Amino acid sequence: MAVAAASRPAAWPARIIRSRRTARFLFPLVVLAVWQLAFMFLETAVLPSPGKVLSFMWDEVRMDTLSRHTLYQSFAISLGRLIVGFLIALAIGLVIGLLMGLVRPIEYFLYDVVVVVLAVPSLVWALITGLLFGLGNNAPIVTVIGVGIPFVILNVLEGVKNSPKELFDMSRAFRVPRRRVVRHVLLPSLMPFFFAALRYGFANGWKGLVLAEVFASTNGAGWTIRYWYDAHRAQGVLGYALFFVLFALILERGVFERVSRYVFRWRPQAQLEVVEEAVPEAKLKVATVEAERMAADRGTG
Amino acid sequence: MADIRVEHLHKEFGTGVEKVVALDDVNLDVSGHVFVSVVGPSGCGKSTLLNVLTGIENPTRGKVEITHEGRDAFPGYVFQSPRLLPWRSVMDNLIFVHKDRSKETRERCRRYLGMVGLEDRGSKYPGELSGGMQQRVGIARAFSTEPDVLFMDEPFSHLDAITARSLRRELHDMWKATKKTVLFVTHDVGEAVELSNRIVVFAKGGTIKDDITVDLPFPRDPADQDVAIAKADVLRKFEELDLIAT
Amino acid sequence: MAKTLDASPDQLQKITHGQETRVAARKKRLRAVKRWGWRIAGYVFFLLLWDVASGTLMSDRLLVPPAGVAREIGEIFQSGDLWMHLSSTLQKIGIGFTLAFFLGTTIGLLTQSRWWEAFFKDWVTSTMTTPGLVYALVVGVIFGFSPIGPIVAIVFASFSYVTVNVAEGIRALPKDLIDMSKAFRVSPGSRLRNVIFPHLAPYLFTGVRYGFSIAWKVTVLTEVFASNKGIGFIMRVEFQLFSMAGLLAWISIFFILMLFLEKGILQFIEQRFFRWRQEVKLA
Repeated sequence: MAVAAASRPAAWPARIIRSRRTARFLFPLVVLAVWQLAFMFLETAVLPSPGKVLSFMWDEVRMDTLSRHTLYQSFAISLGRLIVGFLIALAIGLVIGLLMGLVRPIEYFLYDVVVVVLAVPSLVWALITGLLFGLGNNAPIVTVIGVGIPFVILNVLEGVKNSPKELFDMSRAFRVPRRRVVRHVLLPSLMPFFFAALRYGFANGWKGLVLAEVFASTNGAGWTIRYWYDAHRAQGVLGYALFFVLFALILERGVFERVSRYVFRWRPQAQLEVVEEAVPEAKLKVATVEAERMAADRGTG
Repeated sequence: MADIRVEHLHKEFGTGVEKVVALDDVNLDVSGHVFVSVVGPSGCGKSTLLNVLTGIENPTRGKVEITHEGRDAFPGYVFQSPRLLPWRSVMDNLIFVHKDRSKETRERCRRYLGMVGLEDRGSKYPGELSGGMQQRVGIARAFSTEPDVLFMDEPFSHLDAITARSLRRELHDMWKATKKTVLFVTHDVGEAVELSNRIVVFAKGGTIKDDITVDLPFPRDPADQDVAIAKADVLRKFEELDLIAT
Repeated sequence: MAKTLDASPDQLQKITHGQETRVAARKKRLRAVKRWGWRIAGYVFFLLLWDVASGTLMSDRLLVPPAGVAREIGEIFQSGDLWMHLSSTLQKIGIGFTLAFFLGTTIGLLTQSRWWEAFFKDWVTSTMTTPGLVYALVVGVIFGFSPIGPIVAIVFASFSYVTVNVAEGIRALPKDLIDMSKAFRVSPGSRLRNVIFPHLAPYLFTGVRYGFSIAWKVTVLTEVFASNKGIGFIMRVEFQLFSMAGLLAWISIFFILMLFLEKGILQFIEQRFFRWRQEVKLA
């Protein structure tokens, strides 16, 4: 056995150190370039050029629009509905989630129903509330509530179930006063779950909201993109689509990511992975499996 | 049985400021039915030596030759952690390292599983076994290839003392029965004295500091006086060589 | 039990042990009964609530009772429309998601570095936070009623899930097991089959599961706005006719089918694949 001669994959070519910031910055440029190429080679009548869409967006930003509301008004109306709806969802979900976490029969009673409600697509919420409430503020807000509640419930439930028993025991052993235990043990341990509820409930509520606005409202961001669609203004649809993307990115990167970094500053960096954090169902799946396992443990223990 | 010949072996990791010398001019000759322990403090390059010997890593400089009757020797390896495929059954884990899945191979794998007392666990998944059992599977896997030379990298360091002790006994019996050449890395001097004919002492910086022959009859009981004295001698040598951190 | 008197201590111990497990089993069964009892009570309660609410809280034309929806579902099954719309939707999903899967895997295999992850980061975040409505309208305005529209929407919306997971799986390759197989001189082909693929499989599955559920929703949405066939299209028709019964019936069909494909088939395959994990959990 001549080890020196044993084959081994070639050493990695010395990687040019490129900053990840460059990579992120490059992405929209690549998209624009591909788009421009597609525009030039496909020559479809309907695919607008990036320039046309960007100029539409610029007009919108300057509040020069043919639509009934300006960009800012539309997004403000939607955001208002989102916040109202989600606060209601938070209040209801918190109560139900706590009850489910503390009383076993209530958990059995409601769990499946909550999971089913979670799986209801936002389109379904939008259409049903649209038929039930007609045009106005009600359908979008109820959609946000319906979409948001299961996220809040499941995460609160999970938080209650995951309360760190050994840390409570430790606190008791050291005779730590109750208030300090609440502040330093209970609340931090609930934080990740509360935050997950906030983030995913909000994101999914948003998706439902804009759909409900399309079917059962006469204003808001969802209604406006539909307006451009019905007017067959491709640049309007694409421009608004990009506004949606920007809005989501600002919300995600500017608000949630910052808050998350602050809330979880004690965590090792590795845990803030894209996949785990960004996929709501993954979290819930893990949460349910965890819950089942813990229920089983408690059952046998 | 195999002949291991290592000449002026160097192994370095990284370049420039980050350069780490793991092995520095190592020379070693091992041949025949012997059990050689490589002893030294953690981080002295013992595991690197094994990785180079088995071909997982290439040497930076120097020569390694492991032969059996003039041809390249076939190695077996027992790792510190069991390194089993969690998604394959115990039996399939053994078969995995064989060239074929023939009837003889299966038969042989079953026989070695029997030697470590796990003949009835062949269809289980590794995750269903205790840590000690998993390490047994690792040992059976290494023996089942009927290697000419067997490398072991602190195979018992993750186990509790009682399990480790009974596994050491099993290992000794298998070594005697199969007449392998064994190179056994450990930081436990007692373990080395109990099992080996020869102890190679490694020091930080990746150099061999001493080569001790342990001439005691097998099986050795760690409670036995001669064994205890031998262990004390080795430890004293460690002190002389200034290997024990103060 | 009289026999236990003249049994050896060893046997006696076994028997008491047996009794203990029997008691434990009975307790366990009781707990399961209770659990299922509450569960079923939950289902019954909400169905009853629905039934009572329609006609009292709201007119039964607006809030159609469960029986009405069931009748409507029966009619849909008889009419034969179901298969036309269903097959149209499933075809789009099938083609679109297959494309998305291969595209996603290929890019995932190519993009193992943190650099590529950063490159795709904003893309992944956007595809996950952009409402399906936006996809639907964009492809609607560009492709009109052509079936290319939904397929493009599916590919764009779902491939990044596969990509991210494949890339993640490759980054987490089990180096210790690969070294082990090298030490035992295992051939590269066998290594691929026995080490690398089983390691990547769960990552692929995660990608497929999320990507697929996105694909579903996007397809139906594109049908709502730009199609004359498919489940989404028929849902819009019922909405415009103000037919709550029809809408709820189609929604139920859509929902059940979705649950069946996601929870039933995918989970079944997954369990077959990951038996080694399952049993670890049970052990």
